[in-house]
Amino acid sequence: MKVFPYPRLRGTVSLRVDAARVKAPERSREQLDSRARSVVERVVALGMAETEDWDTATLTVSATIPSKATEPGAPWSDIAVVAVLTDRSTNTRVTSRLASDAESGREWRGELQMLRSDLSDRADLTVQVVATVEGVPGRIVGEASDDWIIDVGSDVPTREQSFEIKEVGFAKGPRRLQNFTDAPWIVNTSGALPTVHINTDFEGMTDVLEAEGRGPEGLVNAMMVSQMAADVWIAVFHSAIGDLEIEADGTPLFPYGWQGEVLREMLADVVPDRTLEDALREVHRRRVGATGWAELQPRIQYAAMRRAEVPRALLETVRGLEKLKREDEA
Amino acid sequence: MTEKPDHLQEFLARLADEEAAQFITDGVLSGKDNVPYIALNQSTEPLPESPRRRTGPVRDLIDDAMYMHKDHSPTQADAWLAPRLHAVLRLTRAEAADPALWNYLALGVAPDFVVWRHFSEKRKTVNARYFKGPHYKQALARLWWSAELFRDGPDYEPVVAACGNQDMLNTVLRLDVIDHRPTAQALVRLLQRGVVRTGREANALGKAVNAAAATLMYDVIAPDVQRDAGAVRRWIDEGEQGGTVLHRALPAGPADGRAPEDSVERLTNHFSELFEEARVRGREENHEETEVD
Repeated sequence: MKVFPYPRLRGTVSLRVDAARVKAPERSREQLDSRARSVVERVVALGMAETEDWDTATLTVSATIPSKATEPGAPWSDIAVVAVLTDRSTNTRVTSRLASDAESGREWRGELQMLRSDLSDRADLTVQVVATVEGVPGRIVGEASDDWIIDVGSDVPTREQSFEIKEVGFAKGPRRLQNFTDAPWIVNTSGALPTVHINTDFEGMTDVLEAEGRGPEGLVNAMMVSQMAADVWIAVFHSAIGDLEIEADGTPLFPYGWQGEVLREMLADVVPDRTLEDALREVHRRRVGATGWAELQPRIQYAAMRRAEVPRALLETVRGLEKLKREDEA
Repeated sequence: MTEKPDHLQEFLARLADEEAAQFITDGVLSGKDNVPYIALNQSTEPLPESPRRRTGPVRDLIDDAMYMHKDHSPTQADAWLAPRLHAVLRLTRAEAADPALWNYLALGVAPDFVVWRHFSEKRKTVNARYFKGPHYKQALARLWWSAELFRDGPDYEPVVAACGNQDMLNTVLRLDVIDHRPTAQALVRLLQRGVVRTGREANALGKAVNAAAATLMYDVIAPDVQRDAGAVRRWIDEGEQGGTVLHRALPAGPADGRAPEDSVERLTNHFSELFEEARVRGREENHEETEVD
């Protein structure tokens, strides 16, 4: 836990996006449907806008802060509640001061405007409570416990980003895939999102991909998908750990984006019973240090297999085959 | 040493990370081999063709930068090149966030520049991250982003000052605090006023300001104004219509409004005090260390 040399606000600061609208030059503004927002997942999908060439988006943001913040006798004055939007990939930061309803001092509301050309993919929205404390103006005394994601391109408001799947014939596909014509799939982890390229030139691949249900093809499909997912998890773990930023004192930093999510998710299984920071340091030490990297591989495979649900897929396949056999015999 | 590309595509393109990796060989990094341009150009994905994406003006600028600084340390080229590269490229931030564009510029347009500018005499090689790396490291991205984050609206003078100090570029550019414009301007002002002189001092200042931002919100102490939404678009449209950028005079950036003067001044004073405290503390720590030794 961080220690601050001044009093901080206790209690929860919460944040909501109540509305979103976009505007294109010389066109009337478009209010986004409520389906573009998910309050549960805390995501706004601006890709749902029908105005395709919109260049500015405006969010209506509201925040609820503990009543202690504005009660007489609080150890601060000049309370301000500020919405903060950041996009790391475009080094963009936009802030907007919210206004309080005069009554309780708990509810704050305002608008935040952003330029589409300043955002690349996903931006984070949070809210900070700022006050003059012990004569120092601008002290951050509290912030929202959970942030929101503003997704510029997506038309579904979900937090999770699954890997991309591209079906492509390798023989005549991009040059880099032509090296792999005899492989059923290849996992690429160097882009903005991990991608699985599925080789449609591989014999029978399209049939297996389309198969569903309890028939033999369906069983193969389920097995293959979980095998692919395990490949993805192993590949993303290795890429994320191989591309860490290291502090001057040798401490590895958690990366942003999917790399960070993957590590947070898998480290608990790779190095159990440690804090995430400790686990990351341990894995990094083993990879770059003299020894221990090979010994870690079974744990990485285990973590990947669990997430890809390989055991469940295999069990269901075995049971499915058994059932088919019995049906044949009957 | 690496030669300039013998074949240049007419327009800028994308070179995805997974494609770029195969061209960053030991030979290229040590300046012994040229990039195989034909194979490289086959690995690119085209971007929409438009006058602002012509490779010619970028290459001319690189040639000029290397010629003008041939008798000096290549680091001195940064301050000259950053604003001009920014003005020639005319990108939105969203476009500049695409690493594939910078991969292409470094490997397909200016590999000789990357080697000339970043060759380490000690290691006899170039760190691969200058070809393909994060925005604060990659040879051309770091110049473009320093121009974007240190310019004051259309005024590139602060960029020249910031890029004249390598630690401002190398350390401060990667800090989140400079995404707030008055903060970036105040840091530059301390350089311009000579309060901060050396790289070591710029480094210490950047770290002190960044650390203080964990408890202070500069946006409230020193508010910025909203950027003019149309200004960047108009400036990019100029490029679309084939406008050229002069090399000798400092060009003008997009007129999207300057950081408010009173905000910049307030932060300048504030940072100046922070820097003084950090310096005093640094001296005490150094003092203690010597005693231990």
